[in-house]
Amino acid sequence: MKRLLALSAMALALGGCATGSNEPGKIVAEDRFAQLVVPGRTTRAELLAAFGPTKTVGFDSGMEAWLYEADAGGGHHTELVLLLDRAGTVQKMRRRPAYPTDKPR
Amino acid sequence: MASAQQAQTQASAEPKPQTVTVTSTRDPVDKSYRKMIRGMERFEREHALAPQATLRFHLLPRTPGVNMHGITLRALGDHIALPIPVADDNTFTLPRNEQALREDAAVIANRKTTSMTWRAQVITPGLPPGTRRLGDLRLECLVGMEAGLVSNSSPLFGWISNALTTPEQVCNSPDGNFLFFSERPIFSVILRAGERSEILPFRMLYAGGEQTREMLPFCDCQVLLDRTYYAPIWDRSWPDDTLVSFEYMDEPSAEVKP
Repeated sequence: MKRLLALSAMALALGGCATGSNEPGKIVAEDRFAQLVVPGRTTRAELLAAFGPTKTVGFDSGMEAWLYEADAGGGHHTELVLLLDRAGTVQKMRRRPAYPTDKPR
Repeated sequence: MASAQQAQTQASAEPKPQTVTVTSTRDPVDKSYRKMIRGMERFEREHALAPQATLRFHLLPRTPGVNMHGITLRALGDHIALPIPVADDNTFTLPRNEQALREDAAVIANRKTTSMTWRAQVITPGLPPGTRRLGDLRLECLVGMEAGLVSNSSPLFGWISNALTTPEQVCNSPDGNFLFFSERPIFSVILRAGERSEILPFRMLYAGGEQTREMLPFCDCQVLLDRTYYAPIWDRSWPDDTLVSFEYMDEPSAEVKP
């Protein structure tokens, strides 16, 4: 029975393609982030030097999405998302504010 | 007269079932003709979610290097081989055939079954370019699950998943994890309904962003990771007419006003 339950849990995780853990991005100061990060110029090495490693997702194309976060109060967070090209240069940047419907962490 | 000729032309253009004897054993992960027909029946029952939409099925790449050109499909039973025309965009509709239903036919492509992933495609005509409609996505989930389209690599996982996850459980739960695929790699996804607008959180893009290289082969997002997103189909505070719009990786950043 235990084995079946373990297999079931594994199957649910794999079938849905999610591990269940949602690793957050590294918390940074939003003002400093906005000052230092410039699409088309800022590099991977500069990001690591200024803010440290964070959650990233790599794709077959060589592009990478990076997630940093800023404290928005009350357990909420603003997302700061970057798209890095194959050369490791930031190509795009976007900000997702915390919404009232977000669950606090 | 003209209509009779037209009908005759249409009839001759429609695929004709052939009587054959099939000696090979069906692959356990082949798509079931019966299930796919059940998916089509589900579409009719739940059409209110997308009243103007039509249903097609869509073939997508599942493994690296799979050739997605020139795909052909057949519904293969013990004594029937029913050709299923596939459009250039790799979408198709399934003709209803009583013999294929009786024989519990399998829908088989001229590709290894595990090399592709299959989805229902429900599209309301006339939407702005680069947008989807949430009610269409809700129906895609219900039809896709009913039709048994989501591909698992292992029959064992498929069996357990099917035993534990009904279309309702998957499509109406925040933990349902039903994956959608956009046309191109996405950078941001925004929901808009009336005055309300929200950007999807990062955890709802790229299959949650939790896939390791070792995990990816188990996910039917394996080669589509940058096109993958979850939509809040379970959240009824977003109406069916909610527009889901995409900012793609290869286009200039849009001014987002949440």
